[in-house]
Amino acid sequence: MTDQNLNAIERMAMVKQERMAAKLGKRYAKEKRFQAYGIVSIVIGLSFLAMLLGTIFTAGFSTFYATEIRLTVTYDQELLGVADMNDESQLAFANWGALVKNALAERFPDVSGRSARRQLNSLVSSVAEYDLKDRLEAHPELLGTTEEIWLMADDEIDALMKKQIDRDAPESERRLNDFQISLVDSLIESGELKTAFNTTFFTNGDSREPEQAGIRGAMIGSFFTLLVTLVLSFPIGVSAAIYLEEFAPKNRFTEIIEVNINNLAAVPSIVFGLLGLAVFINVFHLPRSAPVVGGLVLTLMTLPTIIISSRSAIKAVPPSIREAALGLGASRVQMVLHHVLPLAMPGMLTGTIIGMAQALGETAPLLMIGMVAFIADVPGTPLDPSTVLPVQIFLWSDLPERAFVAKTSGAIMVLLGFLAIMNLFAVFLRRKFEQRW
Amino acid sequence: MNTSVKDTMESTFAGWTETVGNAMLEGEARMSTRNTDVFYGDKQAIFGVDLDIGKNEVLAMIGPSGCGKSTFLRTLNRMNDTIDICKIKGEILLDGENIYDKNMDVVSLRARVGMVFQKPNPFPKSIYDNVAYGPRIHGLVSRRAELDEVVETALRKASIWDEVKDRLDQPATGLSGGQQQRLCIARTIAVSPEVILMDEPCSALDPIATARIEELIAELSENYTIAIVTHSMQQAARVSTRTAYFHLGRLIEVGSTDKIFTAPDHKLTEDYITGRFG
Repeated sequence: MTDQNLNAIERMAMVKQERMAAKLGKRYAKEKRFQAYGIVSIVIGLSFLAMLLGTIFTAGFSTFYATEIRLTVTYDQELLGVADMNDESQLAFANWGALVKNALAERFPDVSGRSARRQLNSLVSSVAEYDLKDRLEAHPELLGTTEEIWLMADDEIDALMKKQIDRDAPESERRLNDFQISLVDSLIESGELKTAFNTTFFTNGDSREPEQAGIRGAMIGSFFTLLVTLVLSFPIGVSAAIYLEEFAPKNRFTEIIEVNINNLAAVPSIVFGLLGLAVFINVFHLPRSAPVVGGLVLTLMTLPTIIISSRSAIKAVPPSIREAALGLGASRVQMVLHHVLPLAMPGMLTGTIIGMAQALGETAPLLMIGMVAFIADVPGTPLDPSTVLPVQIFLWSDLPERAFVAKTSGAIMVLLGFLAIMNLFAVFLRRKFEQRW
Repeated sequence: MNTSVKDTMESTFAGWTETVGNAMLEGEARMSTRNTDVFYGDKQAIFGVDLDIGKNEVLAMIGPSGCGKSTFLRTLNRMNDTIDICKIKGEILLDGENIYDKNMDVVSLRARVGMVFQKPNPFPKSIYDNVAYGPRIHGLVSRRAELDEVVETALRKASIWDEVKDRLDQPATGLSGGQQQRLCIARTIAVSPEVILMDEPCSALDPIATARIEELIAELSENYTIAIVTHSMQQAARVSTRTAYFHLGRLIEVGSTDKIFTAPDHKLTEDYITGRFG
């Protein structure tokens, strides 16, 4: 039998084994290579993430503890100039700073001279006197008495304790001179200076003084903003998705709506901010810098996300369930409320939480509606001026004081913490409400 | 044989005039269709069907795939309403009332004409809730005890009570395919319909589960009118009293099941039941 008598398949069959063997090695090598690419990209991704988190944590960790100085303060009625504790104006104009200065002078009786006194006074935070005011207002019976109290140290002292100021550098290149450092050392020796958990960071609003600046204002602002966003975008988004998916006729008009919802999801968020400024503030005269406006703007931004994910969750409900309900004589609304909605809920909630997480991290549109203003007060209602966490981070990252570097990273850690909690909550909801069959 | 099936069909339809056999009943029919056309957009799926479904009879509808028998079945309780492009012409009467009339409420129609689907489709809820759903939404019972009784009766009639009575609160999706289908039948009869439509109810089931459903159909026919679409000619022969043969959207022949399977009048029917095509 010669080769000419064989057809193509028979000829191929004769060399099949060796050809396959040759090819097989290559195929396996390719598969291994492909897996290796995957592993390498995951390793690169993880190392970037580790680097990011590492820098944020090392920079931000120090903001969670602060330096405090113990002073023996006498609430001297004459020195303060307060005769009646119930008189607001007397309290407002009282010389609170004198209490701190007096206490320091008593602790260091040897220090004399204007310049030396000023340097001594700069050990304690310049806003610590308001802590004394708050304390006395809360406990009026303390007037005229003496007590030991821990007061916030100045941010330079704090930086020294956190080793951000180099003691060994030449005096002229240091923010603290030898005299100040000697004062600090004597306080450390006598146990009158300590570092403690920085509750101020979580209880105060923003401040120009880094040691007094906290994220409470931004946290409450973020909470109100997200609350408004959730309350508006979830019902609107879910109703829109249900209507479009279950009730709307399929025609050109609904097609245009569908395309535009997808387009809206891709619109840069700052455009929504401009829209909010033009419509909510300039036309409807809603208050500037208020979480309610921020919430409205973020609602616009979040709606497409919620609608798209809700629609796909509704689409994923098997049509046989709809037929079963309709076949029993359920109306369309009953079919949707009793069967489709419960089955689509986990997907809807997941989409909503992802949208809310996006909204929590959004900065640009909120700059446009004035939430970037410096606001020291903690907002009490969604109508009060306020800022939000990412904007607070943006604001602090711009400030020159060294302590704000740590504050910025600290605030980022808090924001990341909230995002992680929200995502975990999304996973939890999905697990809890998922129905299997 | 090479004067292929296609030729036979074309020559048949060239001179097609009307259905062979006794499509109209002499007595009172439970449901009847008169000159019913169904369109999907521009495409016509059903051509002028006249058919009566008598009281307490089991009518089987057979025919090759795509012959429109399922479409026809679904027009009988307006399940096709959910399809936007589906248009229906002609009359379909239930106890003398046109079900496509403006005054006919589709919700109450479906409570009177129930449906069992090809694939068992219990709700992902408990067995009890599956059966209780219909009576609940229609407000048929006022007390819990009454509802319990309705659920039990429905499950008994669907001969599944003994298997599920100890686990009524467990998810229906945990049942086997055959049990699920009997549960779906129980769910349908819980709203006490006059007519039950079944769309290939056994096509997803094994022979044993199929046999149980067929027994059940025989029992149910004492109280209900049943229209069943099936691909299995043996099944049609076993469960039905009358059989209708559909072909390419036309009702070709109707007659007593015995007659259709032993001495069909129409050539197409004969070809189909003798297995020449389909």
